Amino acid sequence: MNARAVTEDDLHAYVDGQLDSTRRLAVERWLADDPDAAARVEDYRAQTALLHDLFDGVLREPPSDAVQDLSDRLKGRLAFNDNRPPWHARPLLRVAAAVLLLLAGAGGGWFGRGVQTVSPAGQQRQTLATFAEEATQAHRFYTADERFQVELGADNQDELNGWLSKRVGRDVFGPDLARIGFRLIGGRSLPTDLGAGAQYMYVNDANKRITLFVGAPQSGNPSTFSFTQNGDVATFYWVEGALSYALAGRLSKEELLEIAKAVYSDVKAGPPRRPPANEPPPRPVEVAPPPSTAPQDAPATVQPISDTQKPKDS
Amino acid sequence: MRRYARALLRNNRADAEDLVQEALVRAVSRADSFQAGTNLRAWLFTILHNVHVNQVRSKVGKPAEVDVDDVESKLVSPSRQEESVELREMMRLIDALPEEQRKVLLLVALEGLKYEEVAEMLGVPIGTVMSRLSRAREAIRAKLANEGGVALRRVK
Repeated sequence: MNARAVTEDDLHAYVDGQLDSTRRLAVERWLADDPDAAARVEDYRAQTALLHDLFDGVLREPPSDAVQDLSDRLKGRLAFNDNRPPWHARPLLRVAAAVLLLLAGAGGGWFGRGVQTVSPAGQQRQTLATFAEEATQAHRFYTADERFQVELGADNQDELNGWLSKRVGRDVFGPDLARIGFRLIGGRSLPTDLGAGAQYMYVNDANKRITLFVGAPQSGNPSTFSFTQNGDVATFYWVEGALSYALAGRLSKEELLEIAKAVYSDVKAGPPRRPPANEPPPRPVEVAPPPSTAPQDAPATVQPISDTQKPKDS
Repeated sequence: MRRYARALLRNNRADAEDLVQEALVRAVSRADSFQAGTNLRAWLFTILHNVHVNQVRSKVGKPAEVDVDDVESKLVSPSRQEESVELREMMRLIDALPEEQRKVLLLVALEGLKYEEVAEMLGVPIGTVMSRLSRAREAIRAKLANEGGVALRRVK
């Protein structure tokens, strides 16, 4: 497909998630036959992970008053400047959100990613890519420190699912992945510039953690598995019905794909029973889905959503 | 921005906060020059970079350094003590890099900026960005490998 030899630059771009999919495949094929290069890639990714381990804690520190004040002013100035046509309105909000969180840093390092406007035609694809990027950053952020990994534990899954469904405004649940060795730890809600999202976190016996990010970006999107790699974090994302899903983990693409298939079949099957009609009706599903190999067993343990329980405050 | 400033200034919190503050002052005064549709992160990092360059020029000597051991305890949560050795080592190796390499590594690997954005920000060709990135990563890799393991995660 691509005869150009893999270069030094390609290896870096592969690690940094800056290759297009064609080139990425070429590099992956190359790495399969070159253990030295594969070891370098692994080491570079480990370096990236260490950098985040070292410095992501800064994002949790409250900014000084001066910095906070300046951030607010900058946000105001940028918002005031923009008087573009209507389709710019959303990107504008995104800019504002990004400035606030990028600068204030209070719990949101992933927001500043990919802040750029696109043509209306490209917007839907961009929306989903942005969603995936936020999921990736949220994964990185909340797996960085085990003390802050979830807001609400999975001891009571009804409570967890009910609470997150309210936050997202749609019926969401964390699928049971026990059959593939992952246990649900809990979840948190995240305000993203595409609306509220829910992050479920799982762990396996080897202490590998994966996160499933669920949200409802306002657009119809192609319902295929897409893949993105940012540093050492791999992410698969797709759309099912009115919701978008992004599964992120520090795993190989192949390992993660197997998990994504399991998640996909579970969310497609949905929770066993629907709650009473107090949720907004789901938007029509335009497209039907991809992976034909996905197992179709429905989750056994996820219970219907309860609306009445109040989670502990975060 | 705050994260990058902290990493760039060797974990000196006060200096990093000052740098961010000054960069923000400039960003507010130049907000008119930001064009919707361009990358906000790259714009802000460019301002931060310029402010930093000016600060370094106007200062005699290097910014005050903080002992890595002092900050390390704050960086590492109790449950991750087993990783503290490699984190500390990583911190030392980052510090030991020439600044031009350290900047590129931090902007790319920590902040996730595109190579083109980094090239434009630093005013160098993209090939220079790539070679600095490569040298930085290889330098860290070689030193960590000397400590006894090929993969960083295996270094004890």
